[in-house]
Amino acid sequence: MRKIFLIVLLVGFVVYAGFNLAESVTPYVSIAEARASSSGVQVKGLLDKNFAPMQDGDEFNFSLLDETTGETMRVKFDGIKPDQFDQAYHIVAVGKYTAADETFHAKKLLIKCPSKYEGQKPQA
Amino acid sequence: MTGNLLLGGGLTAALAAMAICFAQKIPSARAVKIIAIVSAGFITAASLLLWILLFENDFSVEYVAAYSSTTLPTIYKISAFWAGQQGSFLLWLLIHAIIGAVLTFRRTQAAALGIYFLLQSVLVFLVLAKSPFAEHSAQVFEGVGLNPLLQDFWMAIHPPIIFVGYALLAVPFALSLGSLLTEAASRSWLEEARHWTLAAWSFLGAGIFIGGYWAYKVLGWGGYWGWDPVENSSLVPWLLAAVMLHLINLARKKSAVLAQAHVAATFTYALVIYGTFLTRSGILGDFSVHSFAGSNIGTVIALANALVLIGGLMIILVKAKQLPQGELYKSYGEASFIILLSCLLLIFIATIVWIGMSMPLLTQLVGEAAAVDSDFYIKSTSPIALTLAALMIYTFVKFGRTISLGGKIAHVGFLAMLAAIVISAQGETVTQEFQPRTKVSIAGHEVIYEGQVFQEDERQKFYVYTVDGEAIRALTKLHGNGTDAAREPAILKNFGGDVYIAPHAAQIDSVQELMLTKGLFAMDGEFGYVFEDAHIDYDEHNQPIQATAAITITDGETEEVIHPLIIVTPDGGTSKSLEVFGGKRRVRLTGISGDLDKARLEILPTYEKLSAMPITSTVSTKPFIWLLWLSVTAICLGTLLAIRKF
Repeated sequence: MRKIFLIVLLVGFVVYAGFNLAESVTPYVSIAEARASSSGVQVKGLLDKNFAPMQDGDEFNFSLLDETTGETMRVKFDGIKPDQFDQAYHIVAVGKYTAADETFHAKKLLIKCPSKYEGQKPQA
Repeated sequence: MTGNLLLGGGLTAALAAMAICFAQKIPSARAVKIIAIVSAGFITAASLLLWILLFENDFSVEYVAAYSSTTLPTIYKISAFWAGQQGSFLLWLLIHAIIGAVLTFRRTQAAALGIYFLLQSVLVFLVLAKSPFAEHSAQVFEGVGLNPLLQDFWMAIHPPIIFVGYALLAVPFALSLGSLLTEAASRSWLEEARHWTLAAWSFLGAGIFIGGYWAYKVLGWGGYWGWDPVENSSLVPWLLAAVMLHLINLARKKSAVLAQAHVAATFTYALVIYGTFLTRSGILGDFSVHSFAGSNIGTVIALANALVLIGGLMIILVKAKQLPQGELYKSYGEASFIILLSCLLLIFIATIVWIGMSMPLLTQLVGEAAAVDSDFYIKSTSPIALTLAALMIYTFVKFGRTISLGGKIAHVGFLAMLAAIVISAQGETVTQEFQPRTKVSIAGHEVIYEGQVFQEDERQKFYVYTVDGEAIRALTKLHGNGTDAAREPAILKNFGGDVYIAPHAAQIDSVQELMLTKGLFAMDGEFGYVFEDAHIDYDEHNQPIQATAAITITDGETEEVIHPLIIVTPDGGTSKSLEVFGGKRRVRLTGISGDLDKARLEILPTYEKLSAMPITSTVSTKPFIWLLWLSVTAICLGTLLAIRKF
């Protein structure tokens, strides 16, 4: 009886945690993969210098460049241009690609600066 | 070199103490006391040496050059000790060694002391694997300095308190294994373990909460908790230590719980080391806000982790048959059942946090690395935390009179903390552009952005706001070259909660740069510039210290001569801006060519113009956030109070 109680509780937890996990995991992908994916992903790239980053009200637009393939992708970040964006050497965009406007909608940007500690500030 | 020798002495003594402890049966013999003190003495000497090197600006030591500089204020030289990975390990070791010496005076079992000194030896290995005393290959005459973010009072006390917590958690682990190794069925270690676990839980909790307060008050990330791997890696052992604490308490009355208490002790300490591995090995470089830059120490920590976890579980397994068996609880209404169920819920929460923070590592093993977003933690843990709160209230009402005063305070504090987390999250958040001196209504508050105030020495500036008629300032620390280094929020404290304003980086139009050639005239549109001359000063080692230029600036009618200078630093140089023509122009020298023929000059916006610029700011309200600070203080103090029994 008591063992059953424990087993039910444990199984319930595993199912529950697994379900939440499957929903929240955002894999690290390339730009090409991000375009093909319909779920949340993280894309890492460089700033595409051919496209001037622009703050438009509450939205920040820029273009991300894939280091290896040279592919670029428009990114619309729902927020303010992060600090040290200009010094960034890597940008990680967390969000989802929408085919309708051919844009990656980022809910979070991680800025990777060359200097230690600095600028890797999460923009919620 | 001397530092490593001192650490070597500490290691030898720790190993000797361990050997004696394992060889003998009599607890706390005189020899062990002396050797433990010798080991702690060596390690203290090594730590003092690191402080001396920091104070003497001995940049031949890599660590000193990386985290200190001649211009770093004295107070921060003390905390520069633990600004980097190597130093923070040494701090941990120092605290561990001091506690170890204290343990030898407390009639601690010989086998437990043996385990403790084994851990001490492992920690010395970790410090030596990446020594803070490593010397520079190149000659350096100025250090990089401490990151402005870390030049803060809370930074000075947050890491030491966390490490006191980590070091204290080694004690119940050692007591548990020591007891298993000598008389497995004995419960005599529980009383002593209870004291140390309470102290560890209080300190680790205080460290975590101070970190949260620091993030809230100083870093301006908008909150006190970000589910960052570094935060999570201290939260998991704290949650497990709470489980251990309750199992130890229960095992004192019910022998059947003894096995669970042993398992909890092993897992708690293993998770301390695991968190260190995750955040210090550099494997999370792409995922964490504040993990340390990549390093090859990972393997060493992974081995230490395996030693603790596998070693602990092996001993428990081997001795499992000797551990008392029996019923854990008789009925579902019983206090033991509720406590065990609550422990299970705490383990569930710890597991969720563990899965989340380990996701990049786990997914790397099977394929592409992936991370979870912070929603995962909130969504998954909230229902469990709510159930836990309900169980706690039930237990409190039904069995409250059996709980000690300290325990009562800590439990009420914990419940209040859960409530404060929920309540303070109910505020509003608005991000918008603020024109200077224009009234804006946000979430029931009148907010005016007044402008920026610059300090003479260009090391910091303030964004000034007026909220409901009260002036508040947001401090921004500046780099040597005048760019923003650390931006703190402005907070208006009220009974109803805080109004929290985080300014964002000003959108400065592209800074104009002039390349000047000696003797030639150049224009920036309004003013004319002639680079007259330059010279470089060298120190006795023929290393450049600073470069000075003479530049004549004219507005067409009058002339002004300025002498901007660049001070050489390891990462290039820093220079201050100069105002000319009564503040109508602000320029900064950013480079001089080696042949002294060319100079690079930045034309910067004037202070007046900067102050009149609109600033995008995030304004949020944090209802009753003071309840959070109050409740976590109650948790820590109540827990400390519980060490004395009532």
